[in-house]
Amino acid sequence: MRLRSCIILTGILVAAATTTRAHFDLSNLSRALDKAKEVTDSAKDAGKVAKGVAGIGPEEEKIIGDSVALEIIGRYGGLVRDEDVVRRVNFVGRALTRYSERPDSAWRFGVLNSDSVNAFSAPDGYVFITRGLYAQAPTDDLLAGILAHEIAHITGRHALKIIERNGAVAGGVTLATKYNSDVRQVQSQVNQVDSQLQQFGPGIKGVFKTIVVDGYDAKTEYAADQTGHDLAKLTGFAPGGLRTVLTRLQQTGGDAQRIFSTHPPLKERIKRLPEEPTS
Amino acid sequence: MKPRSLTPRWWLVALLLVAAGSVEAALAAGGTAFAKRLETKLLAEPRPLAAVSGKVGYATKLTVEEARGAWLRVSAGSAAGWVFSGNLSDTPPPEGTGADKLGLSASETTATAAARPLTPVADEYARRGNLGSASEDLNWLLRRSADITAADVEGFLQEQKKGEFQ
Repeated sequence: MRLRSCIILTGILVAAATTTRAHFDLSNLSRALDKAKEVTDSAKDAGKVAKGVAGIGPEEEKIIGDSVALEIIGRYGGLVRDEDVVRRVNFVGRALTRYSERPDSAWRFGVLNSDSVNAFSAPDGYVFITRGLYAQAPTDDLLAGILAHEIAHITGRHALKIIERNGAVAGGVTLATKYNSDVRQVQSQVNQVDSQLQQFGPGIKGVFKTIVVDGYDAKTEYAADQTGHDLAKLTGFAPGGLRTVLTRLQQTGGDAQRIFSTHPPLKERIKRLPEEPTS
Repeated sequence: MKPRSLTPRWWLVALLLVAAGSVEAALAAGGTAFAKRLETKLLAEPRPLAAVSGKVGYATKLTVEEARGAWLRVSAGSAAGWVFSGNLSDTPPPEGTGADKLGLSASETTATAAARPLTPVADEYARRGNLGSASEDLNWLLRRSADITAADVEGFLQEQKKGEFQ
């Protein structure tokens, strides 16, 4: 199952790339598949991974999460490689995730080297906050409010639901993809996957576009605000953290294109959050 | 006096109150809770460093016997003890063999999942998308994140008086 998923997604990624590059480099693809086989075989041998009962399983989520994270980092100027900063966001973030609905998942929190004010999440536990927003969170209570909202997107599988809604998994599971070391067969399978790409819905690029360009729908964002608020409070951070950050941003005004541009209006989000202590 | 029927708005309020009550009840005495960690320790007393009186696995259904602040006394068969409410869920976790559907112990999950490099497919994706620099950054982040262990996070919680250490 896992190998099949890897092959399916390999095909998706390859096809996404070939939309901008006409040249199809089979040797590189075969190498990637060999690597994928090595990884999945190891996991299988250890008996450590099981496909989800329905929808996108953990192996697919890793691939999607990694790829979307790469796109986010590429779009937002890379990561701030400051040890103190990355330790702070990871400690606060992982304190929160310990009491989330996915306490034992791998979680990584990074700061994007951009002065815009925004935060993003990608499947498989990736949370990113821009340098501009990080500067608005001088206390851990405020930082927790921001991170908890993004954590809620991941525990709620909001990005993955986009793919699932578009029938990506349904298209994928119909493929016959038992691994065979014969490269020609792999090529055949990849070509088969390639032909299924049209049915995969938005895929990686689509998820990236939703997260980074369009944003989730307002209902999803308000739900993440509420879940994040509850998580911060449960963990022991001041429950008013997110509201305070949003209020400060609203008061400072600024360029709407650069402040939470992928989220609903600040005014609407603030209105839905209760007034509570911020420290 | 003519009896007044409830307007749709009041019906909605009533429904929300019932729903809120049912959620509250789940993590209150007499309610039901579910273990959301791969392994949840049940403690002899309602405090974080108390002796361990039992352990339950992922998705175990628990009966809430008593609530004391953020701590719940729960039982499942012969296992019983106190647990911080943040370690339980009021809804059944996703089906599967464990959190993230991985049949691993908590320590294995943390170690292997956090330390992993980018998937080979994502590596290829980065190569084809001219995302080499982003790939280096992401691998750096994966390493830095893996440096922070579950024990480190527990130390942070204890020092900052968060979670069960509040």
